Amino acid sequence: MTMSDVPTDLVRDLGLDQQNAATIGQVLGTGSIAEATVRDDGTMEATIRIREDSMSWDPAVLVMPRGGEIELTVINDDKNTHACLLPSNGDQKFLWLLNHSKGKATLTLDGPGYYWYSSPGGNDEGRGLTAAIVVQGEVPPEARLDRPEQPRPTKEDNS
Amino acid sequence: MTLEYVDAGEAINHGALSNVSGTAPKTSNVDYERLLTARDEPNNWMTYFGAYDGQRYSLLDQINTENVKKLGPAWIFQAGMSGQIAGASTYAFEACPLVVDGVMYVTGWDGWFWCLNAETGEELWRYKHAVPFDVSLCCGNVNRGCAVANGRVYFVTPNAQLVCLDATNGEKIFQRTIGDVRAGESASLAPTVVKDTLITGSAGGEFGVRGHVDCWDLETGEQRWRTYMVPKPGEPGSETWPDDGEAWARGGGNHWCTGTYDPELNLYYAGTGNPAPDFDGEVREGDNLYTDSVVALDVDTGEIKWHYQFTPHDLWDYDSTMEMTLFERDGKKLLGHFDKNGYFFVLDRTNGELQHVTPFVDRIDWGVISRDGKVTPRKYPEKEGDPVHFYPGPAGAKEWTHAAYHPEHDLFYVPVADVGATATRRRREFREGMPYWGAAVQVDIDDMAGSVSAFDSHGEEKWRHRLDYPMAASILTTAGNLVFAGTPTGEYLALHAETGEKLWEFQCGSGHHSSPSTYSVNGKQYIVVPVGWGGWLEGIIPGMLGAGHGSALIAFALPD
Repeated sequence: MTMSDVPTDLVRDLGLDQQNAATIGQVLGTGSIAEATVRDDGTMEATIRIREDSMSWDPAVLVMPRGGEIELTVINDDKNTHACLLPSNGDQKFLWLLNHSKGKATLTLDGPGYYWYSSPGGNDEGRGLTAAIVVQGEVPPEARLDRPEQPRPTKEDNS
Repeated sequence: MTLEYVDAGEAINHGALSNVSGTAPKTSNVDYERLLTARDEPNNWMTYFGAYDGQRYSLLDQINTENVKKLGPAWIFQAGMSGQIAGASTYAFEACPLVVDGVMYVTGWDGWFWCLNAETGEELWRYKHAVPFDVSLCCGNVNRGCAVANGRVYFVTPNAQLVCLDATNGEKIFQRTIGDVRAGESASLAPTVVKDTLITGSAGGEFGVRGHVDCWDLETGEQRWRTYMVPKPGEPGSETWPDDGEAWARGGGNHWCTGTYDPELNLYYAGTGNPAPDFDGEVREGDNLYTDSVVALDVDTGEIKWHYQFTPHDLWDYDSTMEMTLFERDGKKLLGHFDKNGYFFVLDRTNGELQHVTPFVDRIDWGVISRDGKVTPRKYPEKEGDPVHFYPGPAGAKEWTHAAYHPEHDLFYVPVADVGATATRRRREFREGMPYWGAAVQVDIDDMAGSVSAFDSHGEEKWRHRLDYPMAASILTTAGNLVFAGTPTGEYLALHAETGEKLWEFQCGSGHHSSPSTYSVNGKQYIVVPVGWGGWLEGIIPGMLGAGHGSALIAFALPD
């Protein structure tokens, strides 16, 4: 559940996180969350997949602890054909995903910030096959402004 | 039974699924010596303004007042977009295309860079930087262009990265982080190559950052110097900020439009943006140097040699980032600047001494600047919750889009906007990365005008081509005695440089908000026009917020 401060049950009860319930597709930003694994050499890896008849990416939000290179295993467990168009510095990365297929994608992403990716076929994007990659962290120290630490928004600011 | 997965293989570049070949011809080497005399090579457009002086004047004259009526599109490049991008509702095609030996380098929104055959429009290679969806964009997902030197091209991205690419294939050579996106910094200007360095600046003045100009090693990308445009306590100019608190640390003054350069004086003229918060001056008493100024920087050290502030203690969002046009008159080295505040300033560019200042728009009531430069504010947001209407609005009498200067006629051609706005002061606490305006702002939607206006260097208006909408695109002028200008409603115009008479127009299908350039290949002159409406429309022309976006690059030429 990625809608902050909204009870998970409410999202489910309203049918926002499934196909052909409240909406025709699954609402963007609903679904699961997972963290990338950092290998011993510092590179990152994760698996993203499309489960059968879900028409959505699992996880819906993949969290990287910092910018850099990540190797994704991309799995289509669905009985329909989809694709994957991912952000990466240099060019977007494209993978064609036949039914029950598995591939790889290597991405380079800056942080901090978050990126959307999708299955760019038909209306896969609208039905729910649009998901996020979140990159945590700060910019390098040399890129920060020469000024005292400044206050950032707090949870209380949003309440 | 477990089924083996079908092997989907390794993800490929999206561009591989297109007709892009991936390589461009190696051009002749563009080095500093050539950039010094860029105007003498009118077949090329090798730097942002076409030459270091910022005149946007080309010696090409094949297209002229006699034959311009025959001008038509030679080719069109359509960029489009896929997936979700930051500020999808605000993207615009703001770039100035560069051309070297028939190869074109042009940047777009959201980290795009395209290399094209300048004769045919064929896409040769592309680079796409991944830009976070949540990056803070003051004024849209935009980029104004690139720099080229020594077989490389350089540009910045909305998430404040400086990227250097191989000019023959778009392969990345290096990348540097040049700003802090968590602080609200971004980047949008075209870098400038000076000697063996590259000069950039930061954007984000609406987020309470501290503006800076940076110099990078052209070869390695290592930083040579950074000069902040708001001084720290104790530094020269700090007396123009409150001596208690941290107003200086959030003071703005961003250099978000390319500067000009005088190689004889070794000075880079950086225009700076508004102070922050834009409309709440009570939290930053004083003149707030070096916001809304031209700052003359020694290119070797970054030292500030002199400055001139156009709007002291700005309360109207009157950035001064737009071009500082270098020209000579009566043997004197001068600098001309059309400011958002509605006045045209001419300075001695050796020392910043004001020569004269004159208004260039019909309606100015925020205050008065006398011919000797004395500023008297009259209407400004002062009391909390009290609406104040003023002219020009926060997009100014001329937004960032550039004037052009025709040296033979001693005429500046100016994209003029005549529209007001209402600001109501609303104080807010500073939070890093959050918009920091200090007011509610509404730009007039039903009372506006614009023009392409010609002024001599003394500020006397010589002609005016009137428009129903404020102008929002850069002007180009040529030795063909022509002035080219794009309108918000999509028409691309050719005007007579001496009279303003309209000689030709073409409807491009989307409003203009870019900096067209001109070049020639195999003896044929082209005018290349990025067309894609967008950007900070709620500030510039809210009455055109609902107009369609475009994403086309159109090259015009005479028929064979």
